[in-house]
Order: sequence, then structure tokens, then C-alpha cells
Amino acid sequence: MNSPLNRRWWEPYLWLLPSMLLISVFVIFPIIIVFKLSFSEISKAGVIGGYIGFQNYKDAVNLPAFKTVMLNTFWWVVSVVGSSTLLGFIIALVFNQKFKGRKIARAILVFPWATSLVIQASVWNYIIKYEYGSLNSVLLNLGVIKQAINWRSSYQIEFIWECGVGIFVTVPFVAFCVLSGLQSIDESYYEAATVDGAGFWDKLFKITLPMVRPQLTVSTVLNIIYVFNSFPIVYTMTKGAPAHKTDTMITYLYMLSFYERKKGPATALSVIGFLILCACSGLYMITVMRKEEEQ
Amino acid sequence: MKKTLALLLALIMMFSLTAQTAFADEPITLDVIICQYGPNTNDWFLGKGMDGSNFVEKFEAANPDIKLNLEVVSWNDVHQVVDTRIANNNAPDILNIDTFSEFVPDGLLMPVKDYCPEDLFNDFFPAFIAESVIDDTVWAVPDLASARALFYNVDLLENAGVEVPTTWAELEDACQAIIDYYNGDVYPWGVDMTTDEGQACFAYYAWGNGGGFVDADGNWALNTPENVEAVKYVISLVNNGFTNPNPATETRYDLQDMFSAGKLAMLLTTNQLPTYVSDKGGEVKMATAGIPANEGKTGSSVGVMDRVMAFKDDSAPDQAKRNEAIGKFLKFFYDPENYVGWVSMEGFLPAVNSAVEALVASDPSFGAWLDVLGTCQFYPAAKAEWATVRQGVTTVEQEALIGGDIQAGLDALQAEVAG
Repeated sequence: MNSPLNRRWWEPYLWLLPSMLLISVFVIFPIIIVFKLSFSEISKAGVIGGYIGFQNYKDAVNLPAFKTVMLNTFWWVVSVVGSSTLLGFIIALVFNQKFKGRKIARAILVFPWATSLVIQASVWNYIIKYEYGSLNSVLLNLGVIKQAINWRSSYQIEFIWECGVGIFVTVPFVAFCVLSGLQSIDESYYEAATVDGAGFWDKLFKITLPMVRPQLTVSTVLNIIYVFNSFPIVYTMTKGAPAHKTDTMITYLYMLSFYERKKGPATALSVIGFLILCACSGLYMITVMRKEEEQ
Repeated sequence: MKKTLALLLALIMMFSLTAQTAFADEPITLDVIICQYGPNTNDWFLGKGMDGSNFVEKFEAANPDIKLNLEVVSWNDVHQVVDTRIANNNAPDILNIDTFSEFVPDGLLMPVKDYCPEDLFNDFFPAFIAESVIDDTVWAVPDLASARALFYNVDLLENAGVEVPTTWAELEDACQAIIDYYNGDVYPWGVDMTTDEGQACFAYYAWGNGGGFVDADGNWALNTPENVEAVKYVISLVNNGFTNPNPATETRYDLQDMFSAGKLAMLLTTNQLPTYVSDKGGEVKMATAGIPANEGKTGSSVGVMDRVMAFKDDSAPDQAKRNEAIGKFLKFFYDPENYVGWVSMEGFLPAVNSAVEALVASDPSFGAWLDVLGTCQFYPAAKAEWATVRQGVTTVEQEALIGGDIQAGLDALQAEVAG
């Protein structure tokens, strides 16, 4: 009746306790504090006053740059997560093949992901610099162009560069997630499919994709969160200039808080961002899990 | 009962006296935050950059009753660090930063008279002290300053047969002549409208057109016709191809690099440019001139000053002793034996009279810059809305770069800060 398993019902909770404590202190507690702050008056110097209801939210939504920043954030997340997922998947397929130098190629693939984002963004800044950029130098020396090109001639192009750097540093993470899934697929599935006359695309859509869906789900959800919260690339490359046209929500709320000293609206924006992230990640996970259950 | 009570009271008094004595004997620790002005700042305060020793070691040796918990923080992070510490009720005792007005409404700062020795206070340039006054109280003291002027590459201008411009019209002619002569290989004029320097850009042209940030009474006057015309003028320089191509993202340091490399002919920047160019190994024959102004208007040099301030700490057991310790810190810092090395190390200008003689003796060019400093206008950093205005004018400029309405932008900013 009272089995040893039942007598030690508390054991899993004991093992979970340290991580639960850490999560409570470093994640849940700060979230509660930010929620509380978003309903409080906060002075320019950061002194916290009394409850002011939804005033900070009203101020945040009425900021002139709010719509631009929200739209930028949407395109930033969609383009970086979408493109890096597609490219990462293709690279993983290539790296799953047996070829000479595969180990070295895999090691090189880690570099963009393992290097600090600030360094990555600074290096790209130098590459695309108009005056002394290495891209212009290389192209001029090769005779591809006769005059240096201004690679940052408009804010739309600047934003595309930022997204490009975002994709460049995110691809390795997706590739390695997918690669781990690909390596766990039994070869016999493909052999059986070949015997049944399946081609490359049949195998890709009917074996590979369904089998790596869990890894893709994890990498996509994590990337949505990482990319949405990514600060260094945009801040290092443009600081949101001109006039917040290249800002995402995270860089904007930083500028709002520490440059313009509008700390109340900045706090409200961070809560709005948190809720959007919860909704997007939750929705995506529910959809994917439902599909898996249906299958 | 009475005897017991009397005994108890006597014991409490004895204990409190003992406690006071204990506190009095303990060395006081001051939390100090210093901004990182350049590669040498950290070395001077904490490394070996002060005659093989550093400021903290020397100060503690001279003041054994005071310990310094000194931190050098980069300009990129300092506002975040300070605001976080204030929010956590852990403000530093002494802070070196650019602005101070945001701390005054919350009653966070101590008036300077509470801790600054009178002889030291009288040593500061009065015009500098006047920039740190709110409601007739001085809340901070200047630690150093820099002055802005027009730097030009003598060879580039001479080869193109261009005279140094003094007016906006002359500036446009000079730019066109440089473009024609160098076939577009040299940028005639440097413009920095980044979030770091957009306010300086606004000041150069607004002050050179009889406008500015405030009116004669010190009230915000951002949307005046003079200011609108000034922003239009600088945008026209960009649109005519007279400037560096990306003013919203090319910082002062990018421009100084271009100037160092002989790629930029003229630049409005700080008196530190010669130090910067020589540190980079550049060999540019440069000279300085006044900032060009509109026809019939007087140009004004732009002065930028940073400050040192002390925060209140109601939990300090002995306020008088704390104030005295802060005073000793300031006295040691501004002692010409220490201060001259600090100011000249990064090529800044001094804030106290006692340092002038030694600085001019070590580098005669300081004398000319001190004259410029005497005629400078400073940002209205004592006004509580300054942070909003600083970013606001930068945003208006950047909007204008992509076709935004300057008048509407300045109207909105004026309405926001002036109500």
C-alpha cells in the first residue's frame, strides 16, 4: 500500500527546489516588480512614487514613435526568425551529409553564434562603412565596382542590414538544433522510402520535417524570445537612428528610459513586450503541439 | 522604579556615546562613480597612471580616515548604473556625470555649500558655477570642460584655394569649391546628428542664427523661426552633398577619423581633436577658427561641462563627518598637483583658476582655448526638461534628414517641455 515510491513523493520537489528558487528570485520576482512599476509614477531620476493606474500605458501608446517601433519589432522578429530557421534548416541538411572537412565546417559554423553580439555588430559596421569599409575595399580591389558604394544610404537599408546581421548570428543555433534532430533519424526510414520510390522532396516533407519538428519548435520558440529581446545589434549599428526609424521595442525602451528619462512609459513598454512574447510563444507552441497530437 | 529608570537612561546614554565614539573612530567609506573619459581614466584613478600609483591609493594615504570605493563607468552605461542604484536606494556618495537637474526635484542631491570648502568653491570659474544653479542653490561643481570650434585641414583648404568661412553663405561657397576641386573625394563639412551629439549640432547652428534652446528669460524657446531656419540650413548642407553621407549614424569619432585621414576638410568639434589625431598617428596640419554664423549674426562657441555632485545619505551615522570627507575628496582632486595631470591627460580644459597657470605653462595652446571658453555658451542643463530637449532636438534633426517637418517637430517638442 505504502510503497517506497509513495513514501518518497517529495523527492522530485526537492531536486526541483534549487532551480525553482533561482527562477523565483531571478525571473518571477523581477517580472512582478516590473508589473508593479508599470502602474507607478517614476521620476526622471528613477525614484518610484505612488500608484497611477494605466497612465504609463497611455503615455507609451501615445508616443510618436510607438507605431513605427512596433512595426519594426514585428518585421525584425519575423525576418530574423523566419530566415534563420529556413537557412539553418538547409545548412543542417548539408552538414548532415558525409563530406571531407565536415568537422571543421561545423566548428566554423559555431563562430557567429559563439561570438559576442556587440563584437559581431561592430565588425559588420566596419565591413559596410562607406569610407573605409572592407566590403568597398574588396570590391574596389577586385574591380567589381569603380566607386565606393554607400551601403547605408537610407534607413530602410540600414534596417535590412540589422536584420541581416541578426540572421547571420541566429542561423548556427537553428542549424545545430536541427542537426541534432537529423542525426537521430534512423537511416532505415530513408532506405524504405527509396525502395518505395520516394524522391528527395517526398523524403524531406514526409520523413525529415516531421522527425525534426520537436527541434524546430524548440529553436523557433527560443529564437522568437531571443530575437525579440535582442538589444546589441540594433543599438551598436544605428542606436535606432534616424528618429527611431530603425529601433525595435527593446532598444527604444532603453533610449526612452536612459536617454529621454521617460521611465514610466519605458516600464509600460517592457510589460507590453513581455505580454506579446508570452502570447506569441504560447500560441506557436499550442499550434505545434496540437498538430503533433493530431498526427 | 525611578532608580531603575534613571539607571536605564544612563546606560542608554553611555551606549549611545560609546557607539558615537566607535563610529567616530571607524574610517568612513565613500562610494564614488567616475565617468570614463578616455583610455587613461581608469589607469589614473585605479591603475598606475598617476606617477606609478593611482588617485585612490594616494588619497587614502593622505586621508587614512577615509576609504574610497571608486568605480570608473563608461559613458554608455553610467546613466543606467546611477538610475538603478537610485531605484535601489543605493545612490553613490559622489558622482561625476554631465547632468544634474534630474536629481534635484526628488531631493537626492546635497547643496554644494554643505560639503565644499569655501576656498575651493571660490576657485571655480564663476561662469561655470552659474550653470549648476537651480532655485539659487548650487547643486554641483564642474570637474572639467571642453570648448568647440571649427577645425580645418590647412592643406586641403589651401590647395582648393578656399578661405576659412565665417558666414553660412561663405561656408556653402567653400563647400562647393572643395567638392569641385577634389571631385567629391573629400567631404567639405562634418555633421554629427547622432543621439550622442545631435544637441551640439542644434546648438552650433541655432546659436549662430540668433536662436537657441531658451529665451532671454531662460524659458524654453525651441520652435522659434531662427531655430527652424538653422535646422533647415544644416539639412540643406547634407542634401547638397557638402557633408559626410550618414550624419544620423556617423559619430564625432567617425568624423575625427575622417579628418585624421585627410578625408574631411572642416569639422566642428572639441579642443581635444589635436590629442585625438596624434594618438591615432594622424599627421594633419590643422588650424582653428570661430564657428560660422548666419549673415549679420554672431557665432558662439559651444562649451560643454561635466560635473561632480554629492548625494544625500540619511542613513550615514555622522553627517558632518561624511560632508567633511566629501570636502576632502574634492580638495584632493582639485589640488593642482593632481588636477593638472588629470585635465591635461585627456586634453580637457580646467574648471578652477588654480590650475590655469600650470596648464598654460605645460601647453601654451591652453591659453587660447581658455579665452574661447570664456565666451562659450553652455547647454541649459540646469533645467529639469533638458534630457527630453536634448533627445528631442536630435530626433527633429534626424526626422528632417528623411524629409520630416522641422517646424512641426519643434512645435511638438516645445509643447511637451513648456506645457
